[in-house]
Amino acid sequence: MIHLDNVTKVYANQNRPALDHVSVDVDKGEFVFLVGPSGSGKSTFLRLVLKEERPNSGSIHVAGKDLSKLSNFKVPHLRRRIGCVFQDFRLLPNKNVYENVAFALEVIGKPRRFIRKVVPEVIELVGLEGKAHRMPEELSGGEQQRVAMARAFVNRPMILLADEPTGNIDPATSIGIMKVLDRINRTGTTVLMATHDAAIVDSMRKRVVELEDGKIVRDQSRGVYGQAY
Amino acid sequence: MRANFIFSEVWIGLRRNLTMTIAVIVTVAVGMALLGVGLMINSQVSKLTGFWSDKVELSVYLCTKGSPFEPCKNRGAVTQDEKGTLEQTIKGLPDVERVQFENQAQAFKNFQSTESNTLLLSVTKPEDMPESFRVKLKDPEKATAVASSLKGQPGVSNVVNERDLLQSVFGFMDTLRNVALGIAILMVIAATLLIGNTVRLSAYNRRRETGIMRLVGASNIYIQLPFVLEGLIAGLIGGVLSGVILIIVKVFIFESIQTYMAAPLGWDTVAGVITGTMAIGVLICVLASFVTLRRYLRV
Repeated sequence: MIHLDNVTKVYANQNRPALDHVSVDVDKGEFVFLVGPSGSGKSTFLRLVLKEERPNSGSIHVAGKDLSKLSNFKVPHLRRRIGCVFQDFRLLPNKNVYENVAFALEVIGKPRRFIRKVVPEVIELVGLEGKAHRMPEELSGGEQQRVAMARAFVNRPMILLADEPTGNIDPATSIGIMKVLDRINRTGTTVLMATHDAAIVDSMRKRVVELEDGKIVRDQSRGVYGQAY
Repeated sequence: MRANFIFSEVWIGLRRNLTMTIAVIVTVAVGMALLGVGLMINSQVSKLTGFWSDKVELSVYLCTKGSPFEPCKNRGAVTQDEKGTLEQTIKGLPDVERVQFENQAQAFKNFQSTESNTLLLSVTKPEDMPESFRVKLKDPEKATAVASSLKGQPGVSNVVNERDLLQSVFGFMDTLRNVALGIAILMVIAATLLIGNTVRLSAYNRRRETGIMRLVGASNIYIQLPFVLEGLIAGLIGGVLSGVILIIVKVFIFESIQTYMAAPLGWDTVAGVITGTMAIGVLICVLASFVTLRRYLRV
């Protein structure tokens, strides 16, 4: 599903590579934690998968497509198959929960009938039933992140990328967020989550890929966050 | 669905940037109106040129008694013999189509009908009017050559090329046109920059939306179209306003000077000018939106 082969990424004006000869294979339906300290290359990894950045060398295949051969014209179609969740939620403050989720379908031209059908389903899946008409400012952080997850998942992507989704949320609420991610994973969606949160990684017992200074230092199935932290 | 969504986005964008949108509309309206006025003057001038070039004549004025012109000094009025010789000479020139003699009585009549200065009218007598030959040329372009060959013939006081008189009128209209077009170009530059700025503001205001659109895989057209349409609508409104201004200019300015023009500017020309300027206005707006978009909206 996600296949990185010897990928190196160096940002302009920086001599140290953000990713240094990284090779990873993530299969369909896997749940993978990407751990490591700030600046270790986790976000770069996710940005490369989204084709927001291009690698300096190496090849990346996502959902069966070679990203280096994917024209800019086709990048939107790649992104339709990938859902994204961020630390800062990125909701539209002037739209309510339903509209925020529906927005993701409207802008890719889905018919209204389809939107009316699937949006309430996804809102229920993330556990926000009855809150469809609330505005983001009326919701707690955890609820806002659930809206973001509903938006990321509403188009049934093959891959869900989560960049520190629990970074702004207290530990108790984080468990609820992880349950939703787990539920999404159980539908067959590949989940790739970058995180700092040792407790969550330890409790989930999923595959862990650890990055340090742009290199993979550990790749362990059913792993924990690591003794060093 | 698609159209609905895009138009609601456009509407939001225009409303959020209302002051900038108005600035764009006004600039486009004034700029395009000036461009249109310039084009209208241009077509008026070429119509007049065409109209008059059929009619321009050389006037070969003859000496009267006590004429102040240099060739007539120290001699009396033109004699009958001289008139006869002159008529033969003129008729003999290859470029001359026909010659008409205007005597003092006719000249006085013409003078009375065109002169408005009453004091001048009251003191002028038919004997003061010069006799003249009105020479119609086959090719108006040859007027200068013919005029210089007739100057200095015995009995000729001076030769007036009507073309030269018209030239000063045309020269004035040319200046007017150039000024209008010059200002129009400045306005077009101003409009382009304003639209660029509006799009930049608009892109900044909507950076959350466009960011999410990018993320969920909206196509570039979907992301860019609302911005381009904003430019298009502003340009269209500006163009319609400039059309109204041009109609007003036609009715109140061109119609009122029409009596002197002899070759009126038709509504078909005005319609053509309006269509052309509107198209240019819209095109500028759309292009400016598109170019700035490339800079400020990474897709």
